Amino acid sequence: MKILVCIKQVPQKDAPLRLNEAGTWIRDDVSWETNEPDAYALEEALRQKEKHGGEVAAITAGPARAQQVLREALAKGADRAIHLEDDRFAQMDAANTARAIAAAIAGENFDLIVTGLQSDDFGAAQTGVLLAEILGVPHATIIIGIEKTDAGLKLKRELEAGHYQHIEMTMPAVLTIQSGINKLRYATLIGIKQAKMKPMRKVTWAEVEGKLSKHVQKIERLYVPGSQKKTRKIEAPAGEAAKQVVEYLKNEARAI
Amino acid sequence: MEADVVIVGGGPAGMACALRLAQLIDAHNASGVDELLSKENICVLEKSREVGQHCLSGGLLDPRSMRELLPGFEKEAPLDAEVTKESVWFLTRSGRYKAPIVPPPLRDHGNYVISLNKFVKWMGQKVEQAGITVFTGFAGSELLWANESKDVETARVLGVQTDDKGVDKEGRPKGNFEPGYELRAKVTILAEGTRGSLAKELISKLGLEDLEHAQTYGVGIKELWEIPAGRVAKGEVIYTLGYPLTSREYGGAWVYGISDTLVSVGYVTGLDYQDPRTDPHHVFQSFKEHKLARRILEGGKMIRYGAKSLPYGGWLTMPRIYGNGWMLLGDSASFLNSQRLKGIHLAIKSGMLAAEAAFDALVSGDSSADRLREYKAAVDASWIREELWPVRNFHQGFEHGLLGGMVRAGIQQVRRGGNLGPDAKNGAGYTRMERVDELGPALAKRAPMVGNAKGDGKLTFDRLTDVFHSGTRHDEDQPVHLVVEDLSICSSRCTKEYGNPCQYFCPAAVYEMVEQPQRADTPRAEGAGTDGGSDGSTKELRINFTNCVHCKTCDIMDPYQIITWVPPEGGGGPNYDGM
Repeated sequence: MKILVCIKQVPQKDAPLRLNEAGTWIRDDVSWETNEPDAYALEEALRQKEKHGGEVAAITAGPARAQQVLREALAKGADRAIHLEDDRFAQMDAANTARAIAAAIAGENFDLIVTGLQSDDFGAAQTGVLLAEILGVPHATIIIGIEKTDAGLKLKRELEAGHYQHIEMTMPAVLTIQSGINKLRYATLIGIKQAKMKPMRKVTWAEVEGKLSKHVQKIERLYVPGSQKKTRKIEAPAGEAAKQVVEYLKNEARAI
Repeated sequence: MEADVVIVGGGPAGMACALRLAQLIDAHNASGVDELLSKENICVLEKSREVGQHCLSGGLLDPRSMRELLPGFEKEAPLDAEVTKESVWFLTRSGRYKAPIVPPPLRDHGNYVISLNKFVKWMGQKVEQAGITVFTGFAGSELLWANESKDVETARVLGVQTDDKGVDKEGRPKGNFEPGYELRAKVTILAEGTRGSLAKELISKLGLEDLEHAQTYGVGIKELWEIPAGRVAKGEVIYTLGYPLTSREYGGAWVYGISDTLVSVGYVTGLDYQDPRTDPHHVFQSFKEHKLARRILEGGKMIRYGAKSLPYGGWLTMPRIYGNGWMLLGDSASFLNSQRLKGIHLAIKSGMLAAEAAFDALVSGDSSADRLREYKAAVDASWIREELWPVRNFHQGFEHGLLGGMVRAGIQQVRRGGNLGPDAKNGAGYTRMERVDELGPALAKRAPMVGNAKGDGKLTFDRLTDVFHSGTRHDEDQPVHLVVEDLSICSSRCTKEYGNPCQYFCPAAVYEMVEQPQRADTPRAEGAGTDGGSDGSTKELRINFTNCVHCKTCDIMDPYQIITWVPPEGGGGPNYDGM
């Protein structure tokens, strides 16, 4: 199986975040890491390769610093990497990110493309789905189990409230992977050393620019929610207090 | 795995060592010799997830050694400001007195305010560009020895064992278990920083510490603040002595102007205090309430927090720094000038000199102590000794209080480092801790420094708020990395004798004595030990190891010396971005 993993570099989960001057995003003087669901997607890709043979390529779009997530993927066992390298890739909307990735892999014919179900920073959960649309292949989201069959794929999707859906699908396909589908491996010393020798293809902005269009999504303003604590204390005997609470919830809060 | 040189610790010392080694190898290979050396077999192990994340310093760099390592480094290194203005203050509870002149050792013109985190990140890039791999997320967990010898002349270090990954809290392998490597090396260089865990193993096994000149330490607590412009100039340096410490403790504060709106502020408390209730984090919080600090910080915003211990002892407490197959660098080996409050430049220089010895060992095929002795000789012949020898008695002079210390420092200044008598001797700092029932008078004066700070949430903070700002994290399902040899001592002897000082000296709220409901079905907390108190109540030690910021204070200051800090799974720990 020829597998592609789409990986995003996101701010570290516990990094103290500060807004930028314009108030449109955070300041980027933070530490970065691999988007967690993408790390699970990579692990799943490596496991599929170990079972069925083939190769795993990793791709990311972002500035030079984003190369780190590809290096990690190579150290864990990916065979090669593709880096859409430009500062402008960092602030694209999901549709354009998908277009850029599609353009970068034109002619590659991957059997399977996996990515995390959403990013830890924007959390849009769109890039994988849009990529499938652009490539004209089927997709499935929130995957927690993958089994390759002769006909294609048997998949397990996580629904709400402890329900699951089992579906079958042909390949090629795009899957968005849920965190926790597997147990992540560690990069090894030897893996880190070998990663340096593996191929990394750079794709410039100019190479894909023609395939992009206007951003349809943009963050206008980001702000820290102000405290809106409104506490009201009801002092009355229990029965009377309960009535007043119900009254309040019905008429003022309109919660019931 | 086999390597030529393994450097444990990717801080300024380790990175400088790697970089110098790469330079020497490049020059060697370019000189037309037959036997080429490879940089492939040199590796730097760093326990943090990314280079520089565990590096913490007040943030002043004396550029001397960097100019030797990379001439013209100022043009490309991340330097925040050149020092333009200094002042030294003595604080009382409500007053402040400016020193009429800045004492020569604290004159910082020509030095730079830096973020050590950013600076080491940059050094790491240089090392990678030079062709040496930095393995982040890997700690050295044990030394590999050639034999059982405990004699420094015959014992030989063969390399290091890296940490096992994927071990659960009971010590069992998880599904993704990855055993550590036996990383064998011709030369093993320990550059782990203050109280390095492998350095500690080495020093104690080979008996390298001189008991009459035991290493002494301080712990520095630091915050980064964004403040309104106009309060501290970019490149301004302020030092204070005194409040909230009394004349019996050693320590002081710094304020460094990084930009017009960003300051590094912190307080170092000597880890040789007497009152076991002393809380270095509280000391720092109280300092911020003093009007000198309040005027700078009020209305600003704290954005980062960190804590790290530093070696104060200087030249006299330096252990032997070389042996068969090993060398010690930087803070692991006491390369710090406590009079000038600076160590980065010495760490870098020690790394460079060790690299030269390691290079000669590789060329000659001899990495025995006889060959590596060259490192010690080079240190003795370098400006490191010139700088450290005259101040060898400085910290020791303060052992019996601030006033005497100032007098002695003055005498030493005149006598080129000598006392009016022989060089000072000193024992380990923890031995000076007094028992709770023996605490002397003047307890009221100590209120601002004992017990945990509560914090107002604006200017001052409790420890958990601060720890959050250190960005520290550890996988919860791993063995507790603060190994307490005998937990029964905590809940019995220590409670009575010292009142469990671990609750106070830890700046990350790792140690907590918790009241235990006496139920048989109570699940055991992580790393818990228990004992019934005589009054029927049961308090047991809970070790919240995931809060740990790797400062090593517990390993240093615990009065029974039963806490051993071992590296947690590689990749865990604080994130000192921008610190």
